Amino acid sequence: MEAAVETKSLSRVFEPKKKKEGKSVTALDSVDLRIEGGELFGLLGPNGAGKTTLLKILSTLLLPTSGKAYVAGLDVESQFSAIRQKINMVSGGEISGYGLLTVKENLWMFSQFYGIKSKVALQRIDEMLKDFGLSEKKDAKVRTLSTGERQKMNVIRGFITDPDIIFLDEPTLGLDVNASRVIRSYMIDWLKDHPTKTVVLTTHYMVEADELCDRIAIIDNGRILACDTPERLKKMVKMNTTLSMDVTRLKDAAVLGSFSGVENFTFTEDGDKGLTRLRFVMRDESGVSDIISAVLSQGSRIESLQKTEPTLEDVFIKMVGKGLE
Amino acid sequence: MAVMNDLRTMKNAAWLGWQMEANWADPFLFATYSIVKPISATLILVFMYMVVTGGNTDNPYFSYMFVGNALYMYVAEVLFGVTWVIHDDREHYMTLKQVYIAPINFYAYILGRSAIKIAITTAGVIITLVFGVLVLGVDIFLDDVDWLLLLGSVVLGMGCICVLGLALGGITFLTARHSIGINEGVAGVFYVMSGIIFPITALPAWAQSISKVLPITYWMDSMRRAVMPDAMAELSTAAATDVTGLGGVSDLYIMVYLAISTAVFFALSLGVFRFADGVARRKGKIDWTTAY
Amino acid sequence: MSDGWIIKNLRAVKGRAYPRVVGAQREPSWVFFEVLLPLFTVAAYAYVYQFMDARQELIGYVVLGGAMTAFWLNVLWSMAAQFYWEKEIGNLQLYMIAPISRMSILAGMALGGMFSTTVNAASTLVIGALIFNIAFHVVDPVMLIAIFMVTMVALYGMGMMFASLYMLFGREAYHMSNLLTEPVYLASGFYFPVKYLGVFAAAGASFIPITLGLDALRQLFFTSGAGDAFLSLELELGLLLGLCALFMVLAHYSLRYMEYLGKATGRLTLRWQ
Repeated sequence: MEAAVETKSLSRVFEPKKKKEGKSVTALDSVDLRIEGGELFGLLGPNGAGKTTLLKILSTLLLPTSGKAYVAGLDVESQFSAIRQKINMVSGGEISGYGLLTVKENLWMFSQFYGIKSKVALQRIDEMLKDFGLSEKKDAKVRTLSTGERQKMNVIRGFITDPDIIFLDEPTLGLDVNASRVIRSYMIDWLKDHPTKTVVLTTHYMVEADELCDRIAIIDNGRILACDTPERLKKMVKMNTTLSMDVTRLKDAAVLGSFSGVENFTFTEDGDKGLTRLRFVMRDESGVSDIISAVLSQGSRIESLQKTEPTLEDVFIKMVGKGLE
Repeated sequence: MAVMNDLRTMKNAAWLGWQMEANWADPFLFATYSIVKPISATLILVFMYMVVTGGNTDNPYFSYMFVGNALYMYVAEVLFGVTWVIHDDREHYMTLKQVYIAPINFYAYILGRSAIKIAITTAGVIITLVFGVLVLGVDIFLDDVDWLLLLGSVVLGMGCICVLGLALGGITFLTARHSIGINEGVAGVFYVMSGIIFPITALPAWAQSISKVLPITYWMDSMRRAVMPDAMAELSTAAATDVTGLGGVSDLYIMVYLAISTAVFFALSLGVFRFADGVARRKGKIDWTTAY
Repeated sequence: MSDGWIIKNLRAVKGRAYPRVVGAQREPSWVFFEVLLPLFTVAAYAYVYQFMDARQELIGYVVLGGAMTAFWLNVLWSMAAQFYWEKEIGNLQLYMIAPISRMSILAGMALGGMFSTTVNAASTLVIGALIFNIAFHVVDPVMLIAIFMVTMVALYGMGMMFASLYMLFGREAYHMSNLLTEPVYLASGFYFPVKYLGVFAAAGASFIPITLGLDALRQLFFTSGAGDAFLSLELELGLLLGLCALFMVLAHYSLRYMEYLGKATGRLTLRWQ
């Protein structure tokens, strides 16, 4: 099946305008990527990692220095006109449009650049404004909108043309929880309603990537360091699982440290509450059921149980060598 | 202390203006603003003159027109420069709000940016005048220049033009995308009314009354008296009437008039600027963009 | 069924023209600036001719030239340089990824701005004529309309070609527009008959469509205009038609080439240059 996006050894080097302005910058370095239709694909990376450069190439705004990039099976270098029929793009914090137009007029104007009939466009605008909770603002001048309202309008602008593939560059950047949630849910619902369409998203936010994306590519210094589902990425991190348990007082706690998979075991007595606090550092999870059975067999009751697993942030730190914040 | 701070603001603003507008290390910019624009604008008049006279540049009116047009660059460019600072910072660089809330004297910032305009314009004026003298025989002889009058006229004239610019800058806060229209138009008023390229006596009587109130009219005349005294004398004696309209006015009177006008316009400009600034803040126009 | 390429592009023209049209309505301050203020420059030049006791037609030429400056300034500042502003405010990249011709966006700007520009030009013409007592004698109205339309198409075609350059420009766009303003007033004979520049200079200036357009309009508006003409009306119409085709083709290719260059160098979306 044809990929929604495919890159082969894609590189982009920015040369300075004048030599004295510095050295050339390699924004993308041999990027190989395949994004399938129907995916919500995330690009996760720190500032300057090459996320926006990749999106600019895929959205036909920038040419690669070497390598190939295909969007909907079309070459970004030679078939850019055909690609433009199938895509749209939204950036976080963009200030597109004209401040003296109303929200509705601005969206209508952009729909006209995609040749959508006015009647159809206006109907879609009304529906989408409702979906984004922006109906009340439809006649407000764009320059009077708050940051969140403006970004909702931008996202509507991207989706209103019904693209096959939409590129979203940090779409929730700087937004409050509510506005971010509205935008995220819209993306998910849109893909549910249109299972063959594709969303390519760049983001800073780990939780956003983890919650939304079917697959994630971690990018740094122009290179893709890893690309997989969030679950598999987390498994790549060889990090011990920690199991913490509070149980009613045990007769013999020390015996629990001998089960398979346990690398380290400590326990403390909480006399006031009559509890034993157990902490296991597990190499693997093979011994967990044995531990629980042993606790129960001693007549103890489990009051609380907590398992700590690697997060996407752990994956990121392992891959990139530093966190995002 | 406050004065030192204002001077530092002016210096920094001038540096910024230099980076944005001038930078004479860039030959393209130098050619644009100091050679091509001023010479072309002047040649339009030269050709108009030639069409009518067939090319007789010995007439003192030719020098009158040429020098007036060259010096007018100060009026147009400085007025343009001041309003452009506000328009450009707000609409294009979107930095007006940052400058505005900075603990600096906003006037000092604008004047600093304008200082660079004056510097660029000076280069253009000198090149145009040199071109006129060498190629077209404009009547300027260094031996005849009244340097004291020139110095007084330049200082008072520049001050007056800058404070007029401040008032226009204030109005720019309130207008939509018409700052180019504002400064071209206001500069246009002076172009017609202040005896720039033709003596004010060519105007209808009611317009001449207005001309005689405008400080630029006096500035133009004093500048011409300073740099081309012979041609001015010849122009007056060639006609039976007072051709320039200011023939009976002494140099001293002009200087005093310019000084008073500068002070009056300064107060007026500050008032207009503050009013416009207040309205702009009330209506939230400090950081809006109006391009469409 | 999906609409054809032409219909889609016409919608884009309408879309881009819209903000200009409603902008003119919502911020009516332009009426004052665009109508009244340009008259001052015209008046100054007219008084120069009057002071020199020039023949009345020359003052008429100034009024006509002053009216036509509105179109030249619109092409230079509101169309060509607009691409630079659009880049700065983040719209250019959205225009670029849209599946329509760049020429449609530019045509939208031109048409949208045409209303206020035409008001500016017409008011200059009418008020200037009233103040300076200019008598226009329209010799051949059909030819007049034909010349005007062809001049506009060629002029805006040239503007589109400039716009392609401005696409890559940063700050230089503003300087470039400034650079082109006065020299074109001079070379195109906005305020005096272009033939006085001499044959070679006038021939060179004829690549700017408004040069031939103005020369033809002078002949069509004034009975003695033929005496000041550089070329005959028929030849000028023919040349202007040629310029229309030339600039439209050049604009098409230069927009494509500059877009390619912008994408290759990364300057297409580079702001704050």
